Parts: sequence; structure tokens; C-alpha cells
Amino acid sequence: MDLNKFREMFQGCELAGNKILIKSRMHDVIKFVTENYPYDILKEITAIHNPDGRIELIYNLYSTVDEETLLISILLDGNEAESVSDIFDSARADENEIFDLFGVKFSGNDDLKRLYMPEDWEGHPLRKDYVQDDTRLAWNDDKNNV
Amino acid sequence: MMTKTTFKLNLGPQHPSTHGVLRLLLELDGEKIISCEPDVGYLHRGMEKMAEQMSYIQYLPTVDRIDYLAGFFYSELLCRIVENAMEVELPDKVRAIRVMLLELNRISSHLLWVGAFLMDLGAVSPFFYAFREREMILRYFEKISGQRMMYNYFVFGGVRHDIGFLEDVEEIISILPGKIDDYEKIITENPIFIRRTVEKGILQKEMALNNGITGVNLRASGVDFDLRFEDSLYRGFDIKTIVLDGKDSFARYKARILEMRESIKIVAQALEYLKKSGSLEQRLINPINLKLPEGDYFADIEAPRGTASCFVRSYGDKNPYRLKWRTGSYYSVNLLRKLLAGEYLNDAIAIAGSLDIILPEVDK
Repeated sequence: MDLNKFREMFQGCELAGNKILIKSRMHDVIKFVTENYPYDILKEITAIHNPDGRIELIYNLYSTVDEETLLISILLDGNEAESVSDIFDSARADENEIFDLFGVKFSGNDDLKRLYMPEDWEGHPLRKDYVQDDTRLAWNDDKNNV
Repeated sequence: MMTKTTFKLNLGPQHPSTHGVLRLLLELDGEKIISCEPDVGYLHRGMEKMAEQMSYIQYLPTVDRIDYLAGFFYSELLCRIVENAMEVELPDKVRAIRVMLLELNRISSHLLWVGAFLMDLGAVSPFFYAFREREMILRYFEKISGQRMMYNYFVFGGVRHDIGFLEDVEEIISILPGKIDDYEKIITENPIFIRRTVEKGILQKEMALNNGITGVNLRASGVDFDLRFEDSLYRGFDIKTIVLDGKDSFARYKARILEMRESIKIVAQALEYLKKSGSLEQRLINPINLKLPEGDYFADIEAPRGTASCFVRSYGDKNPYRLKWRTGSYYSVNLLRKLLAGEYLNDAIAIAGSLDIILPEVDK
């Protein structure tokens, strides 16, 4: 993929390892990429809670036509991101999972709900600042009683 | 005056044909499905959170449980992450052992699917036939690994013991093609089966791609996408992929039957190699105090239910900083929203069954 054209469109994007790191406007980037290149599957969205406290999202795009993978990554400033569920239906599922486990809210995806965790669960377990002290869990209860 | 009303029906999570604990919240107008809302999470074990608190060798025995019908595939992924990170290249014999076991595992997984799918449609006897053949494969797995389903047989850089009992594999691959012929005789041309599957649950190519569907379900919609071709594990093996253009439940059934036949051929190639090969030579990685160098690692494989992949970010510690699994079934479950809307309730189970969903893989 021609990165120069990409750079013109989206200011401040850079190549970091095998992935393109962008600063903002993820929805526009994904839209641009799918319209101009034959990337037809969004395989997954991976979320990572980095040590500096920011959440990183990695979008794994794949083209079944020329069998190429494209990784686009973004570092979020807060807990909000743009949804791409209007471009890829599969993103809806990924975004829901990330909302449940990381607490990231995706603007444009209006049916984010608790997926794996119970509806009344507090906190998002895959965040690094998550404290495991829920007394409903047997092992935490034991710890308090010792 | 009559008013049109819809009502909600709860399908699952204890219903026997939901393949575990899938709960579908259906909105019905008479027998017609207006909308479908899958509710998952009944089997969530926190596989990703667990990984962050364990060393790699502690985590290895648990990954078989992500998909208990195809455990080898997930062991292979974690082993591959570590092998790639430590820059270890597998010797040919280890590759042949792994390919043989993976493909046998694929056959056993598809066999269970054939049985369970026919049971969903109301035919009980194919379930017993399929389980009879699956039992031969599981017996073999038990002989080599000591376990029928949770094998823990692949280790970082090799396998736990040298392979044995090759005459059992020879027997399996000589018996299986005839048995698959038998299934085809009683299933493929059965008029009831045809009526309940042909042109039911049509999954268009664009819709499949847009929903992240991979594996057999995608290939039955006419997309030639099989990760085994670019996979270095399968280097040197003659693989043929099955691409059908039917797009319906019947095509997905047929694709799995044909894929089993192709897998038997791959097993035969691996077996041929293993019979001639000498003693086992491995590149074992010492798992004690194993620390992956800092960086991101990624591995993917063609699992029976679509592309499975594993992502690891390591900061040089003995446990991963973040580990993520991608499983095929998760996307198939979410596809049900689209696929079931507008269908009749009696087709819902058949269509959901044809996608080969397994819930431990969805819930992780």
C-alpha cells in the first residue's frame, strides 16, 4: 500500500513496525482504505491498555483478493472512540467486547452492553487499573476474612 | 378490532440444540422471526485475563479448553507464538506430527458437527454413526496424549512424546472414506434433509465478508480463502481447498463433508512421511523462566470454525502483557442477528446449526 497518499490525507500518521499508527479519525481512515483498496474483512479489533494508561486499538484488515493484511492502530486519549460498525458489521461485535472488557465507548454504536460480565458488574476486567476485590468471588472473600 | 402484536421467545441457554449455552432472544410475529438477539457469556472463563497472570507454560494446558472439540488448534497457536518469538524453526518430523493431528482433529470436529446438525433437524441416527467414527479418532488421541479432548500434547518447540500407534491412523483413514460415503447415502439425497437445507439461511458473499465470517462458512459462500496455503506448518503438503457456490445450509454441509475427505488425504501424506522418518528430533524451548522478547506477536491458523488467531504483547516479562484470541464462532453468533431475521422459527435451529457454532469458543 502506498503510504504517501495516505499521509497526504491523514496528517500525523506514521509507520510503526508493521502497522500504521494514526492520531485520530479512525472512521474516515477505515472508510478511505476500504473504498480505495480491496480490504474486505475486518478480522478483529484488539484493545490494549498500555502502561502509560492510554488504550490502544489495533484494527486488523485483510484482503481476500490479494491476501494482504493491514494493521492500523490508534492511541485513544480518553475512553471514547469512533465506531466503524456502519462500514463493517463485524465491528459491532468487537466493539461490544471492548466496551465490556475495557470500558471504551464507541460513538455511533448504540447497542453497547455487558457481554461476558454480569449486567451489574462494576469495572472492566482487562484494564490494568482494575482491582480484583469483588467480594462475590469466593477467593476475594477469603482474603478479607483471614 | 385485531391489532398486530409480536412476542418474545427465549431460545436456550439450556436447549439441547443450542450447542452448549447459546441464548437467542427472538421476537416473533406468529412463527416468523422479526429480530434475533444472541446473548452470550454463560461460559466465560476469562481466558485472556488468566493469561496475564500466568507464565506461558502454565497457560499452555488451559488453551485446549477454548474450543474443546478442536483443542490442538489452540495449543498450536500458543506454541507458534512462542516459537516465532524465540525464532525456532520446527523440524520436518514435528511439522508432520502436528499436521497429522490437526487434520485428524478437524475431521473429528466436523464429524461431531454432522451428527449434531442432523440431530437439530430431527434425525437422531446419524448422530450415533458420526460419534462411532469420532470415537476411533478420540481413542487414538487418548493413546498418544492420555486425554480424549484436552490434549496438552504440543509443547514449545515440539511435541510431548514421539508419535506412536501409526497403525491406528492407518486403520482410521482406511475406514473413514467408506463411512463418509454411507453418510452421504443417507443424508445428502434425503428429500427431507434437502427441503430443510437447500436455499435456507442464504449467506451472500458480501454479507459474509462484512460480518467477518471465515473458514468453511465463507468458502461455502464462494470465497476462496484458506489460511493453510500460506501456513509454513503445511509447507510441502498437497492441499486442496473446497469452495462451493451454494451459499445455503446445504452448501455448508456439503463443504464440510468434502473437507473431511480432503483432510483424510492430508493425514495420509503426513502418515506416509512419519512411517519413513527416523527418531524424533526437537527444538524444545526451556519453559522454566521463559520470557518473550519485547514486542507484538501474532499467529493465525485455519481452525475448523474459521480463522483462529492469537495476539500477544510482551514487555519482556514471564507472562504476557496482553493476550487476545480471535475465534471464528464469535462472528458466526453475531451473524445470526442478520441471518435469522425474516426466517421461520422451525428453520432457526437448522440455520444456526449449519454455521457450526461452539460456545466455549465464543465466550473464551
